[in-house]
Amino acid sequence: MEITNSLGFIEIKFGPRWKYIAVVRAFIQNFIAVSYSDNIRADKIAMAASELLENAVKYAQGEETLVKLQLLPETESIMVSVTNRANLEAIKGLQEIWEKVMQGDPLQAYITQMQLAATRTDSKSQLGLVRIRYETGADMKLDVQGDMVTISLTQSPK
Amino acid sequence: MNKLNIETIKQDKVTIDVQDIAEGIKIVVAGDIDMQDPSTLLDPLFDKVHNGAVSSGFKIVELDVTQLNFLNSSGIKAIAKWIMKLATVDAGKKYLIKIIQNKAIAWQATSLQTLTFLVPGSVNVV
Repeated sequence: MEITNSLGFIEIKFGPRWKYIAVVRAFIQNFIAVSYSDNIRADKIAMAASELLENAVKYAQGEETLVKLQLLPETESIMVSVTNRANLEAIKGLQEIWEKVMQGDPLQAYITQMQLAATRTDSKSQLGLVRIRYETGADMKLDVQGDMVTISLTQSPK
Repeated sequence: MNKLNIETIKQDKVTIDVQDIAEGIKIVVAGDIDMQDPSTLLDPLFDKVHNGAVSSGFKIVELDVTQLNFLNSSGIKAIAKWIMKLATVDAGKKYLIKIIQNKAIAWQATSLQTLTFLVPGSVNVV
């Protein structure tokens, strides 16, 4: 993410461990709330970051997961991204689910994925991305460069 | 103790309490559900509630999430799985799931309404 004129930004690099997700979520929520008085919006972005971090902890390879958050005054948008290394199998799986959940109406996609998730017998939900898409209304992007995966979202005020 | 003899659960950052109500049972969930696999906690609970509600002829099961500040997508899956059980219950034995929400909590305003689409007519959000 290129750092442009912004109200503020943070970058957090950490070894992906489940116990750190809540800490980062709370930090992001507070960081946004300091700049924008909209707590609902801060909660939504923090939720999105939390879901992306859960995916990173589950599927990342290596010890560095990078979270970037940027507040853009001109459009009052919030950009957040999570970058981590992943193996080929995980990347392929991500691309397949991305293709599925980023199409069509966000609510219908969410309902469909909920119905599928409810029938799964493994511990996976595959609801995180579609949940982010529906609950934040953000513009989401997936970028794969070799074994580095970045999911970013830009959320504008409604 | 409640009609289904379900004891209060305190695990990680969440507390789940089951209480009797006139036409059924009420599940009160408070705290945060953000553990890696909430199904280990929620699936057995919802199985017990569902089986008990059907066999006891409950009309309503309330799910009070007014104090549930965070629920990850794996937790949403567990609730969806519970709701989908109603799709295969005979009409005469069906119960209504009444979800009591807190509109000040961001995820509740969007995700909870989505749950009502899973088995139409079986879930209300108030």
